[in-house]
Amino acid sequence: MSDISRRKFLQTTSASALLLFSGLSNTQAAPAKSYPSKKIGNIRNLKPNEPLAFNYPDEQSPCLLVKVDNETIGGVGPQKNVVSFSTLCTHMGCPLTYSKGRLVCKCHYSMFDVSRNGQTFQGLASQWVAQIVLRLDAATGNIYAEGVEGLIYGRIGNLKLS
Amino acid sequence: MSLFKRKDSLPIPPLDAEKYTTVCQYCSAGCGYNVFVWPEKRSGTAKSNAFQVDLSQQNQLLSGFSYTETMHNVITRKNGNKYNLAIIPAKESRINKGDYSIRGGTNAQTAYTPTGHTKDRLKDPLLRKENGFVAISWDDAVEIIATVTKSSIDKYGADSIAMKFYDHGSSGLGFEDNWGAGKLFLSGIQTHYLSIHNRPAYNSEVWGSRERGMHELNYDVDDARLADTIVLWGANAYESATVFFTEHIMPNLQGGSVEEKKQEFDAGEPAEEGRIIVIDPRKNATITVSQEISAERVLHLRPNLGTDWILANALARIAWENKWYDNDYLQKRTDMVTFEAYKSKSLQLAKSLDSVLAEAEKITGISRKEMEEAASWIAKPKTGGFKRRTLTLYEKGIIWNMKNYDQVAAIAQLNVLTSNVGRPGTGCGRLGGHQEGYVRPGAPTPGSIYAGGPPKNVDNYITGGGGKIYWVGATDPYLSTPNSKFFKKSVKKRATNLLDYLDNGGIPSDTKAYIAKVLEAFEKTDGLFMIVQDLYRTNTSEDAMLILPAAGWGEAVDTSINCHSRLLRIYDKFLDAPGEALPDWKILALVGNKLKALYEADGNKVMAERFSGMDWKNDAEVFEAGSQEFGDNKATESEEAKLSAECYKGVTHEMLRKLGNEGIQTPVRQDPATGKLIGTKRRYKYSFASKDGLFKWYGTDAWTGYPAEVAKYVDNPAYPFWFTTGRSQHVWQTMYNDKRIPAKLLTVPLPYLEIHPDDALKLNLKTGEMAEVFNEEGSCLALVYVNDATKPGLAFGLMYHAKGTMNNLISSYTDPKTTIPWYKGTKVAVKKYTGKLDDAIKTVSLLSNNDFTTG
Ligand code: SF4
Ligand code: FES
Repeated sequence: MSDISRRKFLQTTSASALLLFSGLSNTQAAPAKSYPSKKIGNIRNLKPNEPLAFNYPDEQSPCLLVKVDNETIGGVGPQKNVVSFSTLCTHMGCPLTYSKGRLVCKCHYSMFDVSRNGQTFQGLASQWVAQIVLRLDAATGNIYAEGVEGLIYGRIGNLKLS
Repeated sequence: MSLFKRKDSLPIPPLDAEKYTTVCQYCSAGCGYNVFVWPEKRSGTAKSNAFQVDLSQQNQLLSGFSYTETMHNVITRKNGNKYNLAIIPAKESRINKGDYSIRGGTNAQTAYTPTGHTKDRLKDPLLRKENGFVAISWDDAVEIIATVTKSSIDKYGADSIAMKFYDHGSSGLGFEDNWGAGKLFLSGIQTHYLSIHNRPAYNSEVWGSRERGMHELNYDVDDARLADTIVLWGANAYESATVFFTEHIMPNLQGGSVEEKKQEFDAGEPAEEGRIIVIDPRKNATITVSQEISAERVLHLRPNLGTDWILANALARIAWENKWYDNDYLQKRTDMVTFEAYKSKSLQLAKSLDSVLAEAEKITGISRKEMEEAASWIAKPKTGGFKRRTLTLYEKGIIWNMKNYDQVAAIAQLNVLTSNVGRPGTGCGRLGGHQEGYVRPGAPTPGSIYAGGPPKNVDNYITGGGGKIYWVGATDPYLSTPNSKFFKKSVKKRATNLLDYLDNGGIPSDTKAYIAKVLEAFEKTDGLFMIVQDLYRTNTSEDAMLILPAAGWGEAVDTSINCHSRLLRIYDKFLDAPGEALPDWKILALVGNKLKALYEADGNKVMAERFSGMDWKNDAEVFEAGSQEFGDNKATESEEAKLSAECYKGVTHEMLRKLGNEGIQTPVRQDPATGKLIGTKRRYKYSFASKDGLFKWYGTDAWTGYPAEVAKYVDNPAYPFWFTTGRSQHVWQTMYNDKRIPAKLLTVPLPYLEIHPDDALKLNLKTGEMAEVFNEEGSCLALVYVNDATKPGLAFGLMYHAKGTMNNLISSYTDPKTTIPWYKGTKVAVKKYTGKLDDAIKTVSLLSNNDFTTG
């Protein structure tokens, strides 16, 4: 991000900014009562360190799925190296970018380690980023999101938007 | 699979939830918070709740309202009922605007709960018996302390009582508790062996500035947004005064405050994005975050350890040579008599510029080019001849440097030489560690060696066998004092000698008999009766004879100021203290009042009088009593410099409760025209705080090398690394709360060492391994991070951790002018540890905390 755009970005407080940065549509789905099972990718198509974006448990919650170089806490696959996280910074809700094994926030520079349970290893976020519970179907290689551990930023409950 | 229990929804406070305002219990920023308490079984709704926020929608980014897992807890009040507790960053606070850090974001998790992380809070006074500590009543505890203290004063004199107490604000401390401690120790007992939380003596860390007529807290948060240049000198703001950095410094670097500048600056004066100079041997996160924002407006100088005042003087000489000063200002506002000493000793005008700078290059390791660039960023007038506006903030890298007095004086003088005090966007002082809240009767040592000092070194007194009673309040010197291994060993020995004497024939259960035997032990042994007053048991308390349970943040009403605006606010009571725990002022008052009664019973009116004036009924009364110490505060705006920096005379708890997050800035003055109480935004616009109002110059010492305690290592190949210490973003002080919070302990599970890749290669060390750091003073086992924060030949350690302290390695040297230690520099050896690695390393992040790049 250039200085100017970052400046603008930091000054933006409208809801449209969130949609812009998380790439969401403006449609609102009815809230789910329990975590849905959602197919989000296939392990055979994942390239190392090239994250795949998806929304979960609803369209207003951007997440990513990534295959990293090492074993992770809560990862799936033979190397336990496929993990998934919410990409809303738990500090004040800015979008997180994946790079070099961590999620980085350019608003106040919190950084979360995707191999270590999404822990804030640097920065302001007192809550670790929410991790998506994954299931791997060994036969097909399909990966399903089936739950969330930790609170997604900006909600009173992960399944409580109306 | 989570490493600890997570939540995926949070309770909602109903509209009628109890609401309080408070301020974060931790760092100098002093972020405002709102507290909500409501019965566990009750709930508001998404649309109707005490937050006054629509919780049915996904919250937008940077909205200023955050409510995360770490901001909620369930507490039990003394009535036995359970309540939800939410502690939320205050959007309406001009300090944090809803922002918060990883430390303050966990305020709610530190609340006492009978079954949660904090269940081991101290609940009763504890007396040490043969087989450990047993709970006793306050009556017995107070009788023991007061009687033993009185006998000790009467027999051995007041100096047989020594103390080590905090003197600051936040953390559940503040003006009330400091006044309590002042009344007992300074007015009542009147010992000379007083020391302040982290240090061996009773002193200011900034006499080098105060004795010039400039208190160190003279700026406002707005100045960080208005400055053309910000200088952070030995001050890692991003990791230790976080929200001050993210809300006030960062926007300036990003250009977000240019409009504010245009409004505040003179007509025609250039207003641009800010620049930052960071002077620190380490490339810490403050530097790399700033570089992420705009590398060309960041200057990083990495002086050799201990040499900063030489650098400050060299920068001043460059400014002098270029005439980047205002002669009129110097003449009118500063003392031109003492200026001569500054010119000859600090500026060294008798020597050529070339020779001064060549010498400075050699000592500091900073090139002339870098010095010239830094000096121009600090002092060179802007286009059109407008004075540059520079805000210079220093902290532990300076105050805990070698030669504390000269370091601080040199930086203060550089700023006054260049008129960088008292104007919007300027200022020179401390970044601060904790918040402040000092009000006490006059101290026995008023100043440095130039003003009645130096103060007595209480660590040396205690380790050398001096004193009978040693009272430690809210500090853990086994971790935090310099040369801590030696200190611990010496205190333990004396405590054991006392215990052995008491134990011989059995420790009496009867209070009177117990007291008699302690007094006998004082006569027959060098035994030390140590009292520790704290929230939890500490490393030091294991050798105490008595442990006293203190109330913490939110468990009593207290008041403090932050450092970046001297903003006085109320930190209200919203929690019940566990068990029998009491606010510090109350514990001290119980002992003071008992001493008064004992002396009255003796017919000793003089001594009884010394302990009078401690019969306060509540915290508001203590606050009021303390305010009298500030004297008359009738003053016009231009007379503000006469007022003590923390003066709050006339302000009451009730008034502060009404002001809430807005608070009032000290010094508070009573306007002579209107009688109204008025706060002070920025200091020293009109005059300085000396008798005649002029800034007093001082000629600093020349470089004479390192003190003997460190010089012994300099050419010794057995200790090849220079060594410095600092803090981590995550944890506060000794981790007294944080070590109980799972996320914190998982992230910072061990003391750690940072070492440069070149050195790591030679030692065959990798990130995630462990190493022993050692020298002749002591050692510490640490987790290793190999990164470029340090430079070859320089190692860095986390200052202290619940599981080990780098202060073991620090020498006993103190500045002879102030008795302030050099915590930040020594030399060490590093050896790879080949034993079994700590299991915590399997879950800790091993990524580099100063690399924010995403390219
Ligand atoms: S920056 Fe300091 S005052 Fe603010 S929340 Fe963090 S620790 Fe508390
Ligand atoms: S919003 Fe991510 S660090 Fe502040």
